[in-house]
Amino acid sequence: MKIGNIIKRLFFIEILKGLALTLKSMFTPAVTRRYPKVKRPVQPGFRGLHALAKDENGKMKCVGCGLCGAYCPSKCIYIYTSDGEDHTKVVDRYEIEALRCIYCGFCVEACPFGAITLSEHYEYSNYSRDDFYMTKEKLLSNWDKYFTGEKGGKYFEKFWGPKSKHFTGYEGQAVFRKIKNEK
Amino acid sequence: MNEILQSFIALGSKNPMAKIGIDIAIIFLKIAVVMGIALLHVAYATYWERKVIGHMQVRLGPIEVGWHGLLQPIADGVKLFFKEDIIPADADKPLFYLAPVIFMVSALTSLSVLPFFEGFVIANINIGLLFLLAMSSLGAYGIIISGWASNSKYAFLGGLRSASQIISYEIAMGLSLVGVMIMAGSLNLSDIVRAQQQSPLGIFAIPQILGFFIFVVAAFAETNRLPFDLPEAESELVAGYFTEYSGFRFALFFLGEYTGMLIMSSIAVICFLGGWTLPQFVMNALPVLSKIPNFFWIIVFLVKVYAFMFFYYWVRATLPRYRYDQLMAIGWKLLIPLALLNIVITATLKIMKLI
Repeated sequence: MKIGNIIKRLFFIEILKGLALTLKSMFTPAVTRRYPKVKRPVQPGFRGLHALAKDENGKMKCVGCGLCGAYCPSKCIYIYTSDGEDHTKVVDRYEIEALRCIYCGFCVEACPFGAITLSEHYEYSNYSRDDFYMTKEKLLSNWDKYFTGEKGGKYFEKFWGPKSKHFTGYEGQAVFRKIKNEK
Repeated sequence: MNEILQSFIALGSKNPMAKIGIDIAIIFLKIAVVMGIALLHVAYATYWERKVIGHMQVRLGPIEVGWHGLLQPIADGVKLFFKEDIIPADADKPLFYLAPVIFMVSALTSLSVLPFFEGFVIANINIGLLFLLAMSSLGAYGIIISGWASNSKYAFLGGLRSASQIISYEIAMGLSLVGVMIMAGSLNLSDIVRAQQQSPLGIFAIPQILGFFIFVVAAFAETNRLPFDLPEAESELVAGYFTEYSGFRFALFFLGEYTGMLIMSSIAVICFLGGWTLPQFVMNALPVLSKIPNFFWIIVFLVKVYAFMFFYYWVRATLPRYRYDQLMAIGWKLLIPLALLNIVITATLKIMKLI
């Protein structure tokens, strides 16, 4: 053993170095964020609680096509439709089991009308399972809660806006705008 | 108030039986004061530990209950008091009840011989240091009995580890204090402090640097603190010997451990760091200090004790746990030979009248 090593072991140089490090870190400011009081700003594009979009007239945008339910990897979206007047499709029930949802956002991407959205809201813990079963009414009221006002509008425009904007053509036919321009 | 006291003293000087009664009353009063204050300090030692370790890990530590979390120990105490007291079905019940009491009592009994400032000690006995060593090894009974009575393999392993660890380190610790005994020429703790004040450096930690080092390492092992907390190694033994305890019985173990730490720090302060005194050269430089009444020197004592406690926490935040064979190797192959060497050197110097 070299003399340097002997000195190192004799005077616990390594341990003293460690002690110096912990003492130094004692005087650095703590990184703790005191959560319920100080909240972390939500990143743009955050995928939180679901909401069903309404149009300008306050009517539900969803037409009950069922694409979101077909796309959903965890199969937690249930849609029940019936025939209304003049054979229009009426969405009777639109339900999401929030506890099973994995918040992948595929339903948003699948929707041709921008009818389903994911809000920034993430604090919705509760005491019973029923409270996490999102019915149509709850989802529509979520839209009123989290997507009203300027911020909500921007957020919606930027991230969960209707993908139907990118579709055009005469009524009843979906064509990509790009393709149409090429024609 | 003063008149009542005067009349009591007058009564005591006339009647020998009354004198005994008054003496006993004074001792009980002293015990109550020391117990109450010590337990308060123990409670806040836990708070301080969490705060120090929190900041060392770049966290905040307890901060929600009261101003900067100052009421946290009280909240913890209330919580533990109202928790359900669970006793395992196959436990050895009488021993299960007895174990935390032994642990706590042996820790608290040690308080009786500690001198906190000049002239204040509950029992000024001539074998104070020996008494402290005896009480600290008696605490091991509480640990071993709790490990046995719980009827759980984790608790049992913890108890066994603790038994061998405390026996091993007891020797090194006792031997490291022999140097102090030789230098002070007494086992009485107050005399040790006075001898230190009269020594040129004012503290024994510098001439007895080897003994101090051995004592510190052995004190860590004796109180089952990191880096020697194998009896309660969380990653291996759940919680060690008190795995099966809950509610206030668990709190007794917890308080006993922290009282043990407080007492070990006090022994270190009394035997090596000069107790409640400041070195003679400081007193000579500042003559004002000698006019301070005896009582206020407890502040010096407490500052030293808390500095040592801080060292406990500091090491805990820094070092990982030792392996069991390493622990034994340090105890038997390093500390005991070093302690013997220290005794030989100190005794030789004492005979040659160099110290």
